[in-house]
Amino acid sequence: MKKSLKKSLLVGLSVLMCGAFLAGCGNDSNNAENKDTLKVAVTNFASSLDPAENFFSWVVMRYGVGETLTKFDKQMKPVPWLAAKWSVADDKRTWTITVKDNVKFSNGKPVTAQAVKESLERAFAKSSMPKTFFQYKSLEAKGQDLIIKTDKEYPNLPSLLADPFFLVVDVQSERDGRDFAKQGPIGTGPYVVKSFTKELAVMEANPNYWDGAVPFKTVEIPSIDDPNTRAMSLQSGDVDMAVNIGPGEIGLFKDNDKFKVDEITSLRVVLARINMNGVLGDKNVRDAVISAADRKNYADVLLKGTFLPGSAPIPPSMDYGFDQLKDPNAYNPDRSKQLLAQSGWTDTNGDGIVDKNGQPLTFNFIVYNSRAELPLYAEALQADLKKIGIDMKIQTVDYNLLDGIGKEGKYDMLISNIVTANTGDPIWFLGNYWHTNIDGSNPQNGSGYSNPQVDQLLEAATVEFDPAKRREYAIQIQQLLMNDGAALFFGYPKTNIVNAKYLNNVVMYPSDYYWITNKISK
Amino acid sequence: MVKGIVKYISQFVITLVGISFLTFCLTYLAPGDPAMMLLESGDRIVSQQELDEVRAELGLDKPFWVRYADWAINAAQGDLGMSYSAKIPVVDRMLESLPGTLMLAAASTILIILYAVPAGIISAINQNKKIDYILRSLSFVGVSMPTFWLGLILIYIFGLKLGLVPIASSKISFSGVILPATTMAVVVGSKYMRQVRLVILEEMQKDYVIGARSRGIAEWKILFGHILPNAFLPLITLLGVLVGYLLGGVTVIEMVFAWPGLGNMAVYAITMRDYPLVQGFVLWVAVGFMIINALVDVSYRLLDPRLKRGQQ
Repeated sequence: MKKSLKKSLLVGLSVLMCGAFLAGCGNDSNNAENKDTLKVAVTNFASSLDPAENFFSWVVMRYGVGETLTKFDKQMKPVPWLAAKWSVADDKRTWTITVKDNVKFSNGKPVTAQAVKESLERAFAKSSMPKTFFQYKSLEAKGQDLIIKTDKEYPNLPSLLADPFFLVVDVQSERDGRDFAKQGPIGTGPYVVKSFTKELAVMEANPNYWDGAVPFKTVEIPSIDDPNTRAMSLQSGDVDMAVNIGPGEIGLFKDNDKFKVDEITSLRVVLARINMNGVLGDKNVRDAVISAADRKNYADVLLKGTFLPGSAPIPPSMDYGFDQLKDPNAYNPDRSKQLLAQSGWTDTNGDGIVDKNGQPLTFNFIVYNSRAELPLYAEALQADLKKIGIDMKIQTVDYNLLDGIGKEGKYDMLISNIVTANTGDPIWFLGNYWHTNIDGSNPQNGSGYSNPQVDQLLEAATVEFDPAKRREYAIQIQQLLMNDGAALFFGYPKTNIVNAKYLNNVVMYPSDYYWITNKISK
Repeated sequence: MVKGIVKYISQFVITLVGISFLTFCLTYLAPGDPAMMLLESGDRIVSQQELDEVRAELGLDKPFWVRYADWAINAAQGDLGMSYSAKIPVVDRMLESLPGTLMLAAASTILIILYAVPAGIISAINQNKKIDYILRSLSFVGVSMPTFWLGLILIYIFGLKLGLVPIASSKISFSGVILPATTMAVVVGSKYMRQVRLVILEEMQKDYVIGARSRGIAEWKILFGHILPNAFLPLITLLGVLVGYLLGGVTVIEMVFAWPGLGNMAVYAITMRDYPLVQGFVLWVAVGFMIINALVDVSYRLLDPRLKRGQQ
């Protein structure tokens, strides 16, 4: 082959490859300078924006389009938002919600009680979900007063109304032809949908916003699912802020003077439900297992500080007495060994595993691995239990099977990563997992756990209107569950929002609903 | 000719029915419940009543055969149903992601051809020389690199450090497609380059090449006039398979570069047990492959005079 041919082919190849790469290169992002546009990297699950479909209302609210009558503060307590005030009549079933008189929809129409009524009726009519929060017998509008008559007592109705399902939309605009799914609803938030796909939402300022100035003309919200890419987008200045930077990347932004990290404990808890019907039915064994789990080490070392060590069912992000609860099973492997010995479990054959009547102490722990921290927790616990002579076998299953296993009680220990109070009230969560299950009366409790005192407190809390008393009940229930060794509470995941320093007023709330507000500015 | 087309179309339809039925069976048999997935995406403990209501709403309470028949009848009329997870028609959801997949597939294919064909030829004509070893080693490295890793490294260098390209565009743009297409070109193109090299080498050993050389014909004339035209057929077949694969979306690349495409959509649909969307996606991949195969068949006839004359 002639040399000239080889050379020209070689040069041609190099030129083509470089040319193809460099063509069209160039990045015009200089977000600090661009005062009119805010760019936010998120992970989005919604493919359309009708707030009555699936849980898309979360996205409508997170993106600053929709607002509710009430909202959660940083302690998950309901505070007025579109509502100015509320009250409940003596029958405890008639609520009067007064809508603020200066609120307008983004199309300029005033928000009246009648408009709120229609919005709530739409939510109930289009989705089966709202009625799992509460059911009304009637809705009546009188000027700015909305009167809700409920089918039974709902002590926490103001909290329930803060759920994104109940965000207020202009139903008339839909009747006039607006497609909420594709064009986004007409809401009362600071921003209005300009264009939307699952991968990229573009918002523009609501010219009729009722609660002060809207600082950005445009808000771009790309959905960047890969945590590495999301972090690099923020580092490079492609975006101004990012929601939920992963544990592997958060260190890049902490103690970095170009960024600000707002990290809080979420409403979630990672726990292992314990079956009372198997070998863990022995309280000493349960206590030994819980005491052997070095939860501080798991949170601080294994999970790099992205979790808070667990002890109680309800995370400290809500004011339900986390600091005043006493953990009877704090980390103490020596105590674990003593407890096992008290129940007759000793290592008679020297194989490192305690035994009784010739049977080694072994049980299964069912986990799923679509959440990265869960197998880590399981393996760490397995290692800790080995140290006290327990042979715990990890069984990994598809997440889809978890619910059935939980209900049927086909486990010794079963992992859960669950939100404890998405409406600010943890009683529902506590009741679901630990209220006595008699012949399927509480199917989620497949563990066989039953404590009449807990049942009594749960029932009292469900109808209690005084928040202070409800809180007291929740604290007592938690303490009883902890004393009984009802579950092993591994820890509480933290959640974060990270922004470039030039942004002001970026705040992460435990409820995770209020990402983009008109308070954020450059 | 007409007979051939009719035969082709009937094969097409039978294949589609078979594939759709098989997919329906597999999704039916797979563990998991779409209603549960939807309800649990709200991070709540789900009651049996809620589950039953959503199952009825989605038609999951009907028997398997009824569900498949309903779907098949509607699909035959162009209605692939409503996506459970997106709550919009399956066709609309797919059309949202299709342009991204087509653009990435086109850009990747162009880069793969630009890289793999010249590199494969250079490597072949320099068999067992230094440049051949270098190119083969590079292609070996290219094939061995995980796409997500290479993607992240390219983002780090060209997006973060040099600022030449956007890190994640989340929308279809020329500047946004460069890095994902380059990643694909390096990984997939390296494999294709080795195949090109092999095909060219096989051709070069044939008698007609030796004959041409003995007649003193210039090397470049032998290469461009004889070897390459004869090597086209196997290369086009391989390229057809490659393009078919790219049309199905490339999940890892789409995820790493936040590129809007069908791959991510399909994985999400499977995770959420969104059966109508999974069905729609599988149909698209099947149709895509069949169209590409048809084009490859047609190109054979155009490129190979022997087939034109009906000769062996």
